[in-house]
Amino acid sequence: MARGSVSKGGLGTSAMTGIRSSLARRGQFRFACLAGPGALFIVVALLLPLLAIVVFSFWRTESYELYADWNLDNYRVLLGEPAYRIFFLRSLAMAAAVSFVCLVFAWPIAYFIAKHGGRYRLLLVLLLAAPFFTGVILRITALQGLLGPIGLVNMALAELGIGPVGMLMYTPLAAGLGLFYLFVPFMATAIYLSLANFNFELLEVAKINGARPWRAFVEITWPLNAIGTAIGLVLVFIPCLASALTQRFLGGPNATSLGMSLAQQFGETGTWALGSAMGVFLFLASLAGILVVRRTIDLKRAGFTGALGA
Amino acid sequence: MRNAGTCQQFVKAGTSVPDAVLKLQAIVKRFGTVTAVDRIDLTIERGEFFALLGPSGSGKTTMLRIIAGLERPDEGGVFIGDRDVTALPPYARHVGMVFQNFLLFPHKTAAENIVFPLRMQRLGRAERDERLAWAMSLMRLGGLEDRYPNELSGGQQQRVALARGLISRPALLLLDEPLANLDRELRSEMEVEIRRYQKELELPFIYVTHNQEEALTMSDRIAVMHNGAFEQIGAKTEIYTNPATAFVAGFVGHSNRFEGKLVEISGGLARMAWQGDAMLVPVPRDPRPGGAILFAIKFEDLEIARAPDGVDRTGRNRLAGTLRDVIFKGQTANYIVALGDGSEITISSAPRGLDLRMSEPVIVHWPVARGATFHV
Repeated sequence: MARGSVSKGGLGTSAMTGIRSSLARRGQFRFACLAGPGALFIVVALLLPLLAIVVFSFWRTESYELYADWNLDNYRVLLGEPAYRIFFLRSLAMAAAVSFVCLVFAWPIAYFIAKHGGRYRLLLVLLLAAPFFTGVILRITALQGLLGPIGLVNMALAELGIGPVGMLMYTPLAAGLGLFYLFVPFMATAIYLSLANFNFELLEVAKINGARPWRAFVEITWPLNAIGTAIGLVLVFIPCLASALTQRFLGGPNATSLGMSLAQQFGETGTWALGSAMGVFLFLASLAGILVVRRTIDLKRAGFTGALGA
Repeated sequence: MRNAGTCQQFVKAGTSVPDAVLKLQAIVKRFGTVTAVDRIDLTIERGEFFALLGPSGSGKTTMLRIIAGLERPDEGGVFIGDRDVTALPPYARHVGMVFQNFLLFPHKTAAENIVFPLRMQRLGRAERDERLAWAMSLMRLGGLEDRYPNELSGGQQQRVALARGLISRPALLLLDEPLANLDRELRSEMEVEIRRYQKELELPFIYVTHNQEEALTMSDRIAVMHNGAFEQIGAKTEIYTNPATAFVAGFVGHSNRFEGKLVEISGGLARMAWQGDAMLVPVPRDPRPGGAILFAIKFEDLEIARAPDGVDRTGRNRLAGTLRDVIFKGQTANYIVALGDGSEITISSAPRGLDLRMSEPVIVHWPVARGATFHV
């Protein structure tokens, strides 16, 4: 459009375009200065290792050495070996279950803070992050103390006369509890941030127009905060899918995840190529997860009309 | 949803409707130590356009929210038709409401916004489409069905909000400053339109506004609200010409105010001492000779003439002054006159046939019975 108006003017066309392009150059320079360092870091620290892993996954390891002869054996093993298939499905089921439970628990928490938090909103949101004040290992250890054979839960049950439940620790349930505990703050924060921008007056409008509270939630609150929910799901689902530590410390033999197995390839067994293939596989699975979430959300219907309108 | 059915019946049959659509009985609402609504009684008749006029913080919006069921009154009762709805939630009351900031659902199209109340009532598809077509044509929204709210202009959004408020044919429609966010031209256009819808539908409207011109233009009856209570309630002409309190006199219309002392009452008029001068003014309610009084007179009730004039003094008050400025407004002009004590008063009259010059001595005069007087 700018170009058209210049040529119509006729006069001083070359001078104008000269100034324009120098302005554009300066803008580009400023943009490069601002965005450059971050972009460089992402390329070096994230994309290159990822690329390396993709490359390694087509190589071969023998006695702790990597050989660059290209083949598909790693993927053949990964897809063919029933154990890996079970590990993957287990990880998938665990990630899905944990995501779902986090969603169910996080929504009321986030809703309460956003609606009734008042001036304590910020404090309450920061409290959500309290588990992060300590390291992940410490948190898992704390859970061991809670769920162990002579842990708090079992002692309390014994006091109540129900007797200790032996099978609490080292079960998939314990691993799931651990993951839930680790990741529910992410979900709650994502949903909270969405609700913080939500106009609760819309619910009054819905109620005046005949919607009962539950209907108003389904019609208004849920769709208008679908983005927050989706971000929360992604933030929980992807780390859970690749998670290894929690299952290792809390899960016992029936909770071995693909992530645990992956860690083993890079550690004990030293089969880097197979581990890389697992990494690529997990990456693709996560990508698929994101795409599924993305597909289910119509941005316009999620109240993002402001950004996409007109 | 049961009440939806009964309402439809009354729209169709047009009978067996009690004359009072809404009744408020001794409503009290407190927020902490503040009494937002202070023992209000109100009856709204069928087909009435009722304006609640008051400055911000006067409790008018709180009253509207109590009627809608968004707030529970601390005391008193709300009756819609012959039902006591005091304890009912908003979704069981079957009233429509239109808000200042439109509050359309941003993720729904215009048509989806408008049919929302019908979907909540689980109305059949055919009936829903029929009513949608009716509302769209009433509001002249044809062709905008699939637009999202952010793709509509302010006026269109307000019309969608009106259509949503009206489509379920509620027992009454509440409007909370619906035009405050529109620009001036659109506002006066919508004022006329909203009044037209109200007359066509014969539906009672309760219209909350702080804009006296809006209230005067649109409504049949006005309640002026101040500090949670009604200062005056009555026909709009009554409110305008016969303000019951000093607050109403100051809030409705544009008035000059004179503060003086009541000297005596004789022959149905009060003599007011003002700046060493004397004026004859209407007698205030419960007159107390010697007490301080406020005399308020509307801009257009004053007349202006070049001094010296030949106006007959009998039956008229006269004040001498100099013309400070003339503000031309088209149909009328405001003449600003400085009086002897330096205070300024405004006279509004037709601008033609009066070629006064700046700083010219003028006489302001008016018949003694005009204006309103209050003890202060």
